[in-house]
Amino acid sequence: MADNQSPIFTRLERHHSRPFGRRTLLRGAGVLGASLVASTLAGCDDHDDALTFFFQADPEEADARMRVIDEFQRRHPGIKVRTVRSGGDPMQQLLTFCAGGKCPDVLMVWELTYAGLADRGVLLDLNPILAGDPTYASELKSDSVPALYDTFEYKGGQYAFPEQWSGNYLYFNKKLFDDANLRPPGRWEDAWSFAEFLDFAKRLTKRDASDKVTQWGFVDTWVPYYSAGLFGMNNGANWSSPWNNPRRMNFDDDAFIEGVQFYADLANKYQVAPKAADQQSMSTMDLFARGQSAMAMGGHWRYSTFSEAGGLDFDVTVLPVGPKGHGSWSDVGTTGLAIAADSPRKQQAWEFVKFLTGPVGQAVIAETGLFVPALKSAINSAGFAKAHSRVHNLNVLTGGPARSRHLPVTPAWERVDALMDRNFGPVLRGVQSATSFKTDLAADVDKVLRNQ
Amino acid sequence: MFIAPNLLAVAVFMLFPLGFSLYMAFQKWNLFNPATFVGWANFHRLFTGDPLFAIALRNTAVFTVGTVVPTLAISLIVAATLNRKIKGIGIFRTVLFLPLAVSAVVMAVVWRFVFDTNNGLLNIMLGWIGIGPVPWLVDPTWAMVSLCLVSIWQSVPFATVILLAAMQGVPEDLYEAAKIDGAGEIRRFFAITLPLIRSASSFVVVVSIIKSFQAFDLVYVLTGGHGGPESATYVFGIMLFQNAFAFTDVGYASALAWVMFAILLVITILQLRFSRRNSLEQ
Repeated sequence: MADNQSPIFTRLERHHSRPFGRRTLLRGAGVLGASLVASTLAGCDDHDDALTFFFQADPEEADARMRVIDEFQRRHPGIKVRTVRSGGDPMQQLLTFCAGGKCPDVLMVWELTYAGLADRGVLLDLNPILAGDPTYASELKSDSVPALYDTFEYKGGQYAFPEQWSGNYLYFNKKLFDDANLRPPGRWEDAWSFAEFLDFAKRLTKRDASDKVTQWGFVDTWVPYYSAGLFGMNNGANWSSPWNNPRRMNFDDDAFIEGVQFYADLANKYQVAPKAADQQSMSTMDLFARGQSAMAMGGHWRYSTFSEAGGLDFDVTVLPVGPKGHGSWSDVGTTGLAIAADSPRKQQAWEFVKFLTGPVGQAVIAETGLFVPALKSAINSAGFAKAHSRVHNLNVLTGGPARSRHLPVTPAWERVDALMDRNFGPVLRGVQSATSFKTDLAADVDKVLRNQ
Repeated sequence: MFIAPNLLAVAVFMLFPLGFSLYMAFQKWNLFNPATFVGWANFHRLFTGDPLFAIALRNTAVFTVGTVVPTLAISLIVAATLNRKIKGIGIFRTVLFLPLAVSAVVMAVVWRFVFDTNNGLLNIMLGWIGIGPVPWLVDPTWAMVSLCLVSIWQSVPFATVILLAAMQGVPEDLYEAAKIDGAGEIRRFFAITLPLIRSASSFVVVVSIIKSFQAFDLVYVLTGGHGGPESATYVFGIMLFQNAFAFTDVGYASALAWVMFAILLVITILQLRFSRRNSLEQ
């Protein structure tokens, strides 16, 4: 019977009849390893001629972003665009890409951190390119909001063009305000005071029989220590002197300290805003989206999330002004598009940047409602108004870029940020007064700025 | 010839990185521009110009003591308990070993839920016995306590296995002789077990100190890449990572790595001398 068996069957039987051999294991591992290496190398193929574009977006933003990119590709069929979406820490991801020689051709950059990239030589100075296109340069300059355009000028070079204004303002729940018979200001020029804002927040904070808060007057959806600084700014202080490549920060300025203290007191003293512990189980963004907060501080990046929250009817208003402040101000929050200095596709990259940050692309952006565009023509366009038809106080968005003050632009921002995180914490928790900045934070930050 | 592949691997993956990081410790390099020689400047800045170094040193010391001492104490108790001949002891030993098999990141994610101030399992259980919510990961002091708790939970199985193996090697007749002499269980543990597993417990201490000093993944997931809140869990591992990959100050990070190595070397040598002197005295 055995003699009649085919050789293949015999071989198979032999394999099955003994345990998994060492040689088989090594052979299998070799084949597996080789296939993994082959597939990895295929993934790293550099011969793909597509223009790579790195950006960060939440899912709602990404859809709108892709519509703008599709429009670019429709108008420029010869340029293929491959998108690279950022993870949680875009700066770190960019540094890794670029240090490893795989820098995307076009990069989304942020006002606070781009100087670190420019300082390391990662970004291309766009001035020479712009000088070769004087008509477009003059058109761009006249249509730009100076505060946004100048943000990306560092040590004499222009390292990005702004594509959006992402400064902060307040969202408010219209129903909760109507129920309380309250109306916040509708324009930057009609700003409210810290005292009026606090009064509103108190009246809009509700508690149940067990004194547990069921509705907060105010929540912050931005970074708390940045927001606190913005309250300091609205009390008449600048963050740094000068704002571009500063040698010192104004953390020890009395007006700044007073503004920060007011922000901290909202949670600790007046209890109209949740403390950090209250935000562990539900984010501040969800608190506002679910109608459990009357006001939320944030920028336009929250707009699509709040728009899609079922049953939420919201509008926008301006930030309050402190006793030492002169009018209500937002921050120059902005992202820009930059070109990698070592990009092999600079011409295509320039076309892409020119489209997205120029009048045509900005108009498309305005229509999608993705951002508050950076160009005046797009901000004041009918398309932008239509995309934000539910916003009654549209002036808060359209007037925002011009009512914004700069945050510090320094290559040492990551270090400054680490020190701020440490020193603002006890103040925001209410265990230390903001006057502690005079002895701790100000000196440490100045040391970092001097040693950069 | 037979050991050539291994030697090559050691050279490529150990000796070269070690040598390169020592070289980098004397350079200023941001990954993009060419490195420039700066002599001892990185070390000088570390000891005199960086307010975060002292914070990281203090936090690492607290974390190390807060992890190693309880780990050793708990492991001794658990190992002594598991060293008995009880029915179903195998099941207990398997269960105890489980935390070691779980990835630190997965574990930290689970513990984040457990430590939630309002809805976390731990605070719910504390609520049953009338204790109010503890801000485990929000308050700086409690954040370090939380970190130590998770680290102890993770370290106990390994230490227990080592100590249990050592305890099983203690000759049974010594216990019997002590029993005949009227020594109780606790006396037997301190007079026989502990002295005879001294080398194993020394090993556990050294390994635990090194592991605590190098803690990174647990801290990163549990309290974030800044070692928050308010730098309360800003340990050397986080400082190293931050300088190397967030600030891209590779030379400075390399200098820090060598300072960490030097501290560990000194502690280990002192510990070994101490235990050797003790064994000679006995």
